[in-house]
Amino acid sequence: MTLTVFYLLSALSVFSGLMVVLSRKAVHSVLYLVFCFFTIAGHYLMLNAQFLAAVHVIVYAGAIMVLFLFVIMMLNLNLAAEAQKTPWIKISAVILSGLMLLVLVASVKGAEELSAAQPQNDIGLVKNIGNILFDKYLLPFELISLLLLSAMVGAVLMGRKEPQPQNE
Amino acid sequence: MNTLITVSLLGIAAMLSEVFRFKKFIQTVFIAAVTGATGLAVLDWGTSYSYFRFMVLFDDYALAFSILFLVLTLIWLLLSQEYFCNENTRADYFALISFSLAGAIILSSFSDLSMFFIGIEILSVSAYVLAGSNRSDIRSAEAALKYFLPGAFSTGFLLFGMALIYGATGSFNLSNISLWIIANHSNLPVMVNAGVVFLITGLLFKIAAMPFHNWAPDVYDGSPTPVTAYMSTIIKAASFAAFYRLFVSCFSIMADWWTPLLVIAAAITMIGGNITAVYQNNLKRMLAYSSIAHSGYLLLAVAAINQLSKPAMLFYLAAYSVASLGMFTLVNRMGNEQQLDKLKGFAHDNPFYAALITLLTLSMAGIPPLAGFFGKYYVFLSSIRSDLIWPVIVAVIASLIGVYYYFRIVYNMYSKPAASAHVVSLSGFDKSAILITALLTLLLGIAPALIADII
Repeated sequence: MTLTVFYLLSALSVFSGLMVVLSRKAVHSVLYLVFCFFTIAGHYLMLNAQFLAAVHVIVYAGAIMVLFLFVIMMLNLNLAAEAQKTPWIKISAVILSGLMLLVLVASVKGAEELSAAQPQNDIGLVKNIGNILFDKYLLPFELISLLLLSAMVGAVLMGRKEPQPQNE
Repeated sequence: MNTLITVSLLGIAAMLSEVFRFKKFIQTVFIAAVTGATGLAVLDWGTSYSYFRFMVLFDDYALAFSILFLVLTLIWLLLSQEYFCNENTRADYFALISFSLAGAIILSSFSDLSMFFIGIEILSVSAYVLAGSNRSDIRSAEAALKYFLPGAFSTGFLLFGMALIYGATGSFNLSNISLWIIANHSNLPVMVNAGVVFLITGLLFKIAAMPFHNWAPDVYDGSPTPVTAYMSTIIKAASFAAFYRLFVSCFSIMADWWTPLLVIAAAITMIGGNITAVYQNNLKRMLAYSSIAHSGYLLLAVAAINQLSKPAMLFYLAAYSVASLGMFTLVNRMGNEQQLDKLKGFAHDNPFYAALITLLTLSMAGIPPLAGFFGKYYVFLSSIRSDLIWPVIVAVIASLIGVYYYFRIVYNMYSKPAASAHVVSLSGFDKSAILITALLTLLLGIAPALIADII
């Protein structure tokens, strides 16, 4: 049963991943990407990492992809506006990706076999993550708030309207 | 730890000052808090405490660098008075500066890879915003974008490197990683080596060393001058503090393997940075390239990785940053006309301050008996101790090239002005900034042991 679900999810994620690259329309690509993220979240669920699955859906599929959609719609991409590809660019792209493939194949072929990690069934549960976050990683967790604050101040600083100079 | 808490709270206080209407006093609060934080760091001197389950370790190294950042910030405030003039943005700028200071302190004290990452992100995110803070200038926006994209990209490299290291060693803790590497030294998995290469790549991006320096000149040039001064002194010092701390505490046992990478990067950076600086006619751009070149010398200290390189780095960073702040005071006063020949006649109008700026320039060029000379001396000494002979020869040649363009600044200051040219004039704050930096440069040159012997 689990194996069947795994193969189904894998097939779907490979398919949607391919469609992201192959589809001609930008909006379709984005939608396939959202679908791809959902299937990967399914994989997380099967590994019993519920927290990761939820965060993956909320952050990637939810927030970031909506941003992508907004940008694509704002830029109003279509085929006519697509930059012309000269033969040189195509040739160099082919050579580069061929080299990349070579490196990837070589590295997989020469890779040393690592023993599979022992599955820990409860490691991804929200409770355990909460425990470790508020115990061992308390200081990083608190300091993340500084990072978020500075990003927020930055966004407000960049985004707000410049007040008109007042005549007093 | 107290220092870190004070500076973090200061950032939050700066944000609250907008709500509770004590914006007028925020500068006083800032100066008081930064001075207080410096005092707290001094009080902790000699102790070495680890906090929050070995997340940070405030040893003398961390405290010395924290004090350096805080003191540099106080000097930096003198030259950036006008940057904080605008009532609407003042509180935000102070908040961002405090946050990035907190990031810098984390970077000098981390003992866990997660803290390292958070520190570098806090530092960078506030710097991206500060680079683009002059919203009426399109070049400032360009600088922010050009800073943000390579910065985010290099963060990816860092994260990937950290993931590989974690995958191999099973720990984020620096001493655990080091112990694991010592235990498995004879047959290290390739994953560790790949992780180290990724970490080096990401860090070379952050410190703007060649061949990953392309973003730096435009960013330094486009940002508002006070921000450029902040980036090329405090942010650079923090990145180097983190670079050295990470590599000395994790990977010193496999130094033979990664030292050549750093040495080559250092050699290219020193030669390339200095040669490119020769061709600049814009003072701000020249200082940007000179800042890249100085990264090369500092990289040499990181590559040497022995007893001497820690004080060498601290001293070099202190000497370079102090002189650099003085130089940027002058650039700031030049406004939008930063061509070198706009300096003509400066010495005629301000003979005393022209002499002081000459002193700072000579220190950056590395002329004895000023601080810059001893910085280079310590770096070269520690490199020779690690048998890095040819890089030192390259460094000496690069310094000789450097002398040429530093003298162009002096030459221009002492030439006669064009008939109708507007000569740069200094405000009271500028004068005190130049005076303080020059005095510090002299002091460190006469008594280098003041800093070099403390860690």
